[in-house]
Amino acid sequence: MEHIIDLQASHDLFELWKNTYETTYGKIIDMPIMGPSREGADRLRKNFEAMINLNSAWAQSMSSFQSAFMEASRKTQENVEKRAAEEGVSPSSYTGYYDTWMETYSKTFREFLESRFFASDLARLTSNSMDFQKSSRELVEEIILKPANIPTRTEIDDLCKEVYLLKKKMKELARNMRTSA
Amino acid sequence: MESAEVTGAHWKAMKMLDAFIKVPEFSVGTTPSEVVYTEDDMRLLHYIPLVKKPRPVPVLIVYALVNRYYILDLQPDKSVVRKLLEDGLDVYIIDWGYPSGVDRYLTIDDYVNGYLDNAVEKVRELSGAERISLFGVCQGGTFSVMYSSLHPEKIRNLATMVTPIDFDTDDGLLHIWAKSLDADKIVDACGIVPGNVLNAGFLLTDPFRVLIDKYVGLFEKIESNSDDEEGELENEETVKNFLRMEQWIFDSPDQAGETYRQFIKDCYQKNLLIKNKMMLNGKRINLKNITMPLLNVIGEYDHLVPPASSKPLNDAVASTDKETMIFPTGHIGMFVSGKSQREICPKISSWLKARSGKNSGRGKK
Repeated sequence: MEHIIDLQASHDLFELWKNTYETTYGKIIDMPIMGPSREGADRLRKNFEAMINLNSAWAQSMSSFQSAFMEASRKTQENVEKRAAEEGVSPSSYTGYYDTWMETYSKTFREFLESRFFASDLARLTSNSMDFQKSSRELVEEIILKPANIPTRTEIDDLCKEVYLLKKKMKELARNMRTSA
Repeated sequence: MESAEVTGAHWKAMKMLDAFIKVPEFSVGTTPSEVVYTEDDMRLLHYIPLVKKPRPVPVLIVYALVNRYYILDLQPDKSVVRKLLEDGLDVYIIDWGYPSGVDRYLTIDDYVNGYLDNAVEKVRELSGAERISLFGVCQGGTFSVMYSSLHPEKIRNLATMVTPIDFDTDDGLLHIWAKSLDADKIVDACGIVPGNVLNAGFLLTDPFRVLIDKYVGLFEKIESNSDDEEGELENEETVKNFLRMEQWIFDSPDQAGETYRQFIKDCYQKNLLIKNKMMLNGKRINLKNITMPLLNVIGEYDHLVPPASSKPLNDAVASTDKETMIFPTGHIGMFVSGKSQREICPKISSWLKARSGKNSGRGKK
């Protein structure tokens, strides 16, 4: 697939950007934090780092999608011209053009979605998105919810686990009673 | 644009608007049933038999956790459930419900050896049958296979439909993508995995067809119908049927995190089930324990569960009475297409009926 070449180039570009960031601004962000508000500031730093990673993965994914769109548009035009040259048919109606467009876009994106680039983009985007979500939650819990004495998601999860284990135990006991009766 | 064209386009737009404004209420899953058992979010439904004396071996349908069970009873003329009932079978179905935060720790073991086992027990109790038929669909088929391996003494027949068993294939996009996903991060961050995120993945498998072409097709159909009363009635039915499917597609329950984690890691990534290495609460699932009659129903053009993922089941089990049926349709077409009603359902119910005669052992009432 021709647009894969473009995808490789865009991947390389974002890798270069990320490496450059990590060896320049990233180093400043990574500096150890001191003082009484160290813990909160450290979470803020980690959250910023997670956001940079997420934005980088997002931009990379969008770039890949953009390449696929461009390739699909190019192929659509090619197919329209081919049909006109070989069959003497040009899409004189909306439906005629739409059918060619739909067929070409679906096929091109199918190839794109099957590619290793998309699978790795998706995995990276999902992973960075989860890192950011987790980091944001921890940040909010630490610097807002706990000081305000509001229950946190972590505490609710602990409670949910307790409820789950109790229910499981109760069901097990009920089952044992049924079978021994 | 000529003024005639503008007027024509205006009338077309008005026709679309008219078709949607006039759509009366519609419902899904209308085959009469009663809830015979509940446990947490799970409900067990028993469909009211349509014949005086249904077959003595009841059928328990197990659908996937993703999306809702009522795709098997979407509307009266597109209903797998109704077809089975009309053919004299006694049908039950599990509705897994909508997991919430408190369910995030539920494991596959809880579903298979907990909810499913309790549902099977209830069906046995109510029907008086010692062994019942399990009819697993999609991921529900995978659970049914696990269950039949661990509790073969309770299962008389096992039927699976569009069921993934061998996950080591690159034929389907979900199989390709799932291999690289970090399930631990997803579950640790989300707890309960949002249904709309999973649904986005399904939509992405064929984005232009399902996000554009489907709607264009609907508008074209409405446009092509005549403007008289008959055409209006046809439009009403077209829109109602479309909206039923639309409701089902976007009715995506969230997923219990621990179940999702194990399903992605043990099934999609390590492919343990077909290797007889998958463990549920310390018990190994050995597919060779499956000796009961097996029917494996596959969609030739299924892009969510490709045939390569379903076919190996028959070779993996020890059943002697086993059959594979492959139909030229896709995943959803298996439940709601004309072919499903005309060809697929009758063949499944014939297979089940032939194996649902009087049980040797009776009664647990």
